[in-house]
Amino acid sequence: MNKYLVFLEQREGALKKSSINIWNRVQEIAASEPGSTVTGLIAGPANILENASLFAGEGVVYHATGEDLRVYHQQYYASLLVELMQENYSALFFADSSLSRDLAPRLSVDLQASLLTGELHTDKNGIPDGCVRPLYSGQAKALFAPQRHVRIYNLSPLRGRVAGFSCESHIQVLPIRLPQTGIDLLLSEVRRIVFRENSLDIAEARIIVSGGRGMGGREGFNMLEELAALLGGAVGASRFAVDEGWRSHREQVGQTGKTVAPELYIACGLSGAPQHLAGIVSAGIVVAVNSDPHAPIFQVADYGFVGDVHLVLPKLIDAVKEFLKKN
Amino acid sequence: MNIAVCLCQVPDSASVIGFVDGALDRSRINEVMNPYDEYALEEAVCLKERIAGSFVTVFSVAPPSAKEMLRKALALGADRAVLVNTITEPSDPYLIALFLRKALIACYGEVMPELVLCGKRSTDFQHAEVPSMLGELLGMASVSGVTSLDVSGDNLHLEREIEGGTEEITLHFPAVLSAEKGLNQPRKTTVRSVMEARKKPIDLLTVTVEETPFVFMSSIEPYERKKVCHFIESEKELVELFAKEGFFL
Repeated sequence: MNKYLVFLEQREGALKKSSINIWNRVQEIAASEPGSTVTGLIAGPANILENASLFAGEGVVYHATGEDLRVYHQQYYASLLVELMQENYSALFFADSSLSRDLAPRLSVDLQASLLTGELHTDKNGIPDGCVRPLYSGQAKALFAPQRHVRIYNLSPLRGRVAGFSCESHIQVLPIRLPQTGIDLLLSEVRRIVFRENSLDIAEARIIVSGGRGMGGREGFNMLEELAALLGGAVGASRFAVDEGWRSHREQVGQTGKTVAPELYIACGLSGAPQHLAGIVSAGIVVAVNSDPHAPIFQVADYGFVGDVHLVLPKLIDAVKEFLKKN
Repeated sequence: MNIAVCLCQVPDSASVIGFVDGALDRSRINEVMNPYDEYALEEAVCLKERIAGSFVTVFSVAPPSAKEMLRKALALGADRAVLVNTITEPSDPYLIALFLRKALIACYGEVMPELVLCGKRSTDFQHAEVPSMLGELLGMASVSGVTSLDVSGDNLHLEREIEGGTEEITLHFPAVLSAEKGLNQPRKTTVRSVMEARKKPIDLLTVTVEETPFVFMSSIEPYERKKVCHFIESEKELVELFAKEGFFL
């Protein structure tokens, strides 16, 4: 019997789908363990009703609505979670994000809890017992096992869309307050957040159109922008494209960039170095377009198209447009 | 201002991660300074050049073979290097953070450095946990993945990348920061700087940590992910495939 706590991250008052995915995954685990419970925590004002139908299962969701918690604040968030974890939860779950990366290691020390990052690993009964993660530029993978009773899981994005069962779920939302003790001195403060316009983050995108050296330059990516827009996806880039200054680092996929889990990954003019492949191990269908039939990317692709991206992509864009017009 | 920089070693990009009888084969691995740590060191040296009276000390929890990397750090502008001796290099981030905390206390005593800089993560194990853990252990604020840093008086103005935007953060010393790619462009060593580095000290420090690890790596294996690629001949076929798989909303 386990008590699980899931941190549900909000940004600008909207709950992140990646966190709801983790909630639903933990519900699946709890369903196979009689007596186990799942509890959620939302820090900051958020519109829960908007996504209520996406939540599966049953349980209490604590909601701390204080204005202090609207933007991420390391001390406030830590104090809220440390206080709640006193209720003997056996595991705390995060969906991997810049917030969890900043917060979870501090909580791990404070709570003397094992911190596990990566894909959830379960034992033969379906109970979480560690995390699997690529190491050494994606050339190896390892299983990490917890050595403490309390565990913190920071989980990579789960592929696929959230699917709740609104008619069967029973979620009770209860207010909770930020503990007033323990924060005597404000160490750091987020002054403001500057959001980019029309920016679908690659870590959350359903479809990613990614480009590498073969795109030939900054202009080459215009085709990828167009294709991504048609498909409702985001543009990604290889390390080479980022180092050359063609794209921003926030779009970099791989070892020194982001780990992504889209349903569709279209790799264009990208050879597929191990460092890049390390970032797409959780991708669903991989489509590769490359002029070199021996490029390593084809070894991890489900579908390959041998050809020059500068000839293939315009035709592909036209074909997509034509399809969208007809349907 | 005292600045501490924590460095670690990782296999360079040409290293081969092989396996012999199911165990990691380290014979074809050549270790270099972790790329993210280069950004941390560069930022420390830039601050030293801007703020008179600053002193940069680099720390590494590593076997004696890490001396070469520490020499390079001195050539890149650090003033002093401390090699924290361990029998085996711990792979558990909590233990590494404990070693670093003890080493910092041994070197600085009561007056902790104003700034502790680390790389965002190592490129081998990629835990990305040591900096924030160290911040918690030292009771200092920590900010991970810093892409811009500006000092004015006692205050630090930072930026860090978050999903879909940038957070602008204000804090005051002391703090533990971890460096993200983009923070700066690390310099290269010169013949002169390498010569000068020979005069700078590398101190050996032995500390002991009683605690047991938080996590244990229970297995490691090569990453096999070969798929059978189905080759497509026309763009139209690809679009039909997208439609069949339900990628059009």
